[in-house]
Amino acid sequence: MNIFERIQKLDRRWIYIVVALAIIIPLAIPFNSDNVTSPSTENLYQFIDSYAGRQDRAILLSFYHDASTMPELFPMEVAILRHCFERNVKVFMLTWFPQGAPIIDYAINTVKEEYPNIKSGVDYCNFGYIPAALAMPTILGMGDNIAAAVKTDAEGRKLENLEIIKGVNNYSEMNLVVEFSGSSAGVTWLYYARPKFGLNIGVGVTAVMAADEYPFLQSGQKIGMLAGLKGAAEYEKLVDVFAAYREPGSPITVTLDEDGNKIVPGRAFSSDILREESTKQLINITTQTVAKFSADEYSKFVGKYPEKAGIFEELKTVKGGQVEIDVTKVTEDQKEALGYTAMADLNRMTRNIIYKFKVARIGMNAQSVAHIMIILFIVLGNIGYFIQKARQARQ
Amino acid sequence: MKKTVPLIIVIVGGIVFLLWVFVPHKIMADDFYYQFYTPWSRAMAPFAMLLGVMSLSMMHNAKIKRRAPKWQFSYFFFAGFIVTSLAGFIGGTQKGGLYMWMFETMAMPMSATMFSLLAFYMASAAYKAFRARSVEATVLLLAAIVVMLAQVPLGVKISRHLPTISQWILDVPNLASKRGIMLGVGLGSVATTLKIMLGIERSYLGGGD
Repeated sequence: MNIFERIQKLDRRWIYIVVALAIIIPLAIPFNSDNVTSPSTENLYQFIDSYAGRQDRAILLSFYHDASTMPELFPMEVAILRHCFERNVKVFMLTWFPQGAPIIDYAINTVKEEYPNIKSGVDYCNFGYIPAALAMPTILGMGDNIAAAVKTDAEGRKLENLEIIKGVNNYSEMNLVVEFSGSSAGVTWLYYARPKFGLNIGVGVTAVMAADEYPFLQSGQKIGMLAGLKGAAEYEKLVDVFAAYREPGSPITVTLDEDGNKIVPGRAFSSDILREESTKQLINITTQTVAKFSADEYSKFVGKYPEKAGIFEELKTVKGGQVEIDVTKVTEDQKEALGYTAMADLNRMTRNIIYKFKVARIGMNAQSVAHIMIILFIVLGNIGYFIQKARQARQ
Repeated sequence: MKKTVPLIIVIVGGIVFLLWVFVPHKIMADDFYYQFYTPWSRAMAPFAMLLGVMSLSMMHNAKIKRRAPKWQFSYFFFAGFIVTSLAGFIGGTQKGGLYMWMFETMAMPMSATMFSLLAFYMASAAYKAFRARSVEATVLLLAAIVVMLAQVPLGVKISRHLPTISQWILDVPNLASKRGIMLGVGLGSVATTLKIMLGIERSYLGGGD
């Protein structure tokens, strides 16, 4: 048996080992990489972002999947929830799957840990599990009155008594549903809610199902899509660059101006910002521990916490005209003196992304290597096939 | 009788919902839907679930009694069903309870493991079977390589044009073929629905009297 015949008959266990290593090593050793955002992800992000700070607008997330597709869909759910919590977008959640109910709880718990000001019934509301048999009456009923169609949330509270429902009556206000599914995402909403009430639909699907969604995206029946882990990674990136971005001098949570108007933190989407070189510093997935400021930025940042200026002065070092604060050098006493808000603000200035908000991007690194390996296998297999074929023809 | 009654229910139900979709009159849009359909469907849904649980239990019970192939696994169904139900009913489904613990530490990783095995099978299948045997296969192979590379950050480093080419493949040839398939499926669904509503297609009623 010559080398080409051997290549053709390579034991599949070798392939399994190579694929396993190609996935495990990049997962264990993260490296910085950039996921180019696709139009379908950007559209969905911009649509949700257009509701930032509005009391008369809300979105609904439908968790239409079980645990098997969580590696691809869960990072999307976390990223969208984070976007909503950062930009003060009212968010409702439901599932038609019994197995989807704990996934909603898990997603809320995962994100909420980082947002102590976010409250159930005020900023978000979980409708919980609604049997699929009731999908049609629920979907149609919400077009008339959400509180009448759903009645109680997952905690058993009457919807009509919750603060979040004030100003949100039906699909005129809750004008976007994003359904996450490993199979046919958004179909029931498309059949019943879109023609009758004009509801906007976005989807989050596994990569293998993404190709099915393009006809709906092109026709405008679905306004956006997150396609597999890549879609989740793109959305994570957009949240880091825009929704979670804070200028050193700007407040980190929602504030009111002199006229009582709401100022929502973060910044609006812009393609130009995505192309800027400085954006790369916002999407590093390796651990960042140093907050870097120009002199002007530093004075703005410290100006927000005048009574804690002394502690920041103790922590700062000046390198090449830049003020730097290494958060790993902050002692427990200093942390206590700074308090939760100032410390959280300082951590934000390091532009460090905590693990749960970069899971998809770490996964994309593994996928990068795995894709390259699979392509190499395909090329190698084809080379062996053609050389063998040529030899057989000669003989 | 066994066939006539279900047939009448299906035909009448089909016509009523057809009218509901196309007739905006109050009797159809409000009275039928809110006064009749919604309460009935809410009442029926728990029975459907109960029926499902009973049917599944009976099936596994029969399997154990008959010592059918792999009958031992049916015990796992009963164990999983009873333990999960009790954990949910007694301890609740919130974080910190047994139900959520079982979900996070058992259901989630086991389901994800099953799904992730796909990567290994796909790699093996791609190596063993993805050959440029014809022009069509070569086009498919090249398209697959371009889309696979464009999906990942490393591919973008190879060429910054890859995402644009990949997006074109997805937006044009992929979309055209998908739309063709969907139109075919849609027309087939309409034809099947009409056959069912007119009583021509009766296979869903089951065989024999």
